[in-house]
Amino acid sequence: MPSAPVTGLNMPPPRVPAWARIILLFGLLYGFLVAIGLMSSAFKILGAGHADGLFSGVASPFAALAVGILGTVLVQSSSVTTATIVALCGSGQLDIATAVPMIMGANIGTTVTNTLVSIGSVRRSAEFRRAFACATVHDIFNYCAVAILLPLEIYTGYMRRGATELTELFAMGGGIKYESPIKHVVKAGTKAIKSGLESLNLEGGFLATALLLIALAMIFLCLNYITKNMRALLASRIEAGLNSVLNRSGLIGMLAGVAITVSVQSSSITTSLLVPLCAAGILTLQNAYPITLGANIGTTVTALLASMATDTSLGLTIALVHLIFNLSGTLLFYPIRALRQIPIRGARRLAILATQNKLWLLIYVFIAFILMPGLGILLFD
Amino acid sequence: MFHWLLGDKQGLARIFQHFGQMLEDGRHIFDAASNALLGGTDPETIRDDLYATDRRINGVEQKIRRELVVHLAVSERTEFSVCLKLMSLVKDAERIGDYAKNIFDLGVAVPGFNADPAREDLIQVKDQVSRLLAKMRNLHESQDEELARAFCEQGESVLRHCDEKVDSLLRSTDNDSHAVTSALMYRYIKRVMAHSMNIVSSIFMSVDKLDYFDESQETR
Repeated sequence: MPSAPVTGLNMPPPRVPAWARIILLFGLLYGFLVAIGLMSSAFKILGAGHADGLFSGVASPFAALAVGILGTVLVQSSSVTTATIVALCGSGQLDIATAVPMIMGANIGTTVTNTLVSIGSVRRSAEFRRAFACATVHDIFNYCAVAILLPLEIYTGYMRRGATELTELFAMGGGIKYESPIKHVVKAGTKAIKSGLESLNLEGGFLATALLLIALAMIFLCLNYITKNMRALLASRIEAGLNSVLNRSGLIGMLAGVAITVSVQSSSITTSLLVPLCAAGILTLQNAYPITLGANIGTTVTALLASMATDTSLGLTIALVHLIFNLSGTLLFYPIRALRQIPIRGARRLAILATQNKLWLLIYVFIAFILMPGLGILLFD
Repeated sequence: MFHWLLGDKQGLARIFQHFGQMLEDGRHIFDAASNALLGGTDPETIRDDLYATDRRINGVEQKIRRELVVHLAVSERTEFSVCLKLMSLVKDAERIGDYAKNIFDLGVAVPGFNADPAREDLIQVKDQVSRLLAKMRNLHESQDEELARAFCEQGESVLRHCDEKVDSLLRSTDNDSHAVTSALMYRYIKRVMAHSMNIVSSIFMSVDKLDYFDESQETR
């Protein structure tokens, strides 16, 4: 039966009431924290020698960086990668020195999502040029930040030291064990699932594998639905926020980027929203850039949340490293005009090249997200 | 309860509000410009207000377009049909402002027109259109299909009347010095009415039929 033509300007009523979405949000956040707890338990069971898979045996910081990029490109979510890194650190199976470049790699890897989004307008040159520049300004910023901050971190360790000091400050000098108030609530859920698996006579490596698989599935599901739920719940606020920063540059845009990303728990959502706006020409690259930087800072809240469910203070430390890294990058490549223009001009130039010859698009994606991290693992591990 | 969190108005509702403002400004600018030609108002006394209103209409048109793109990017709902309609309707609302400016220019160019015999009929038609423009604003709020159809029927009679008048002016052999002015005024009023009908007919017509309102179509 053919459907009736859509007439009028009436709006459909909201499908799920706000209170139900807020309850759902708390449920999902709880599920996410339980998943981190499960993952920490799994890593503990596996022990230091096995707690690795993708993230282990990484001797060089450059290899760790490459693992962070590749891992994030594969799962298409820096939140999942950083949450896993936090769980690994929190369970004591990954040292902070190795985790720092991995976190940086996750930052780079997540930018592939909006680059792929920009390909949607590849057939319309002018739109594609703007969309691709908007997407790649994030990539270039992250690569530039890593190029300067990773060597600096290797030689000075300022991020590690700063994060450790902050962790001690938050734990009120507690030192060895960080007791977050939420942890006890989360432990109940973790214990219930673990007991359930143990009642099936699972133990040792089998139990750890089962816990790990359940944890990963829960992290994916919870983060995915937190994002969808929050996006639906706060669509109006997000829309109003974007409308208010369309013609404004600077701090307001950055704050909007932080707020939107913290709300939807995904920097990819924020940056991917900017791509069609830039493509349509209603948002300039100059104004999109601070929003992107804000998204980079906002996304660190996921790792901070995840750290609430870990047993040791190292989870919080690496989450704070993530925050310090993104704040450092922003301070490096935003306040000074000449430095601010580096990612913007780079993205513009790259977009012109990719518009003139689409082969550049493939070459760029291959080099930035496959070849460079691949070589990093091969050469430095 | 969650007002602080969710914001004052839903994205599309805010855009509707802007569109309502455009319609209100449309009526204001039409009335003001018509008075310059037909009511004996000194054009210079309303020039600034008229041009400011036109700039406001143009600004709101661009704002609505921008906000529609943002809304489509953010919203996961299937509101694209409404958005496409609004994208088309803002053009109609903006054209009302443009024709009003044409009427104003006519008032500036022909200062003695308020003594013309055709003036009485033009005032009646203009008043009818002005009332319909006010109705259009209310219809935009209520989205009442029956009233929208009635509006378009009244609009049709205005269009026919204007056509007849222009036709008779074309065929007239009288040495009427203001024949061109009258013909242009009827033409502008007709266009204002036609754009208003496009806006109102969107209440009961599907997005593909916009701008093609016709009594004989199966829209009833």
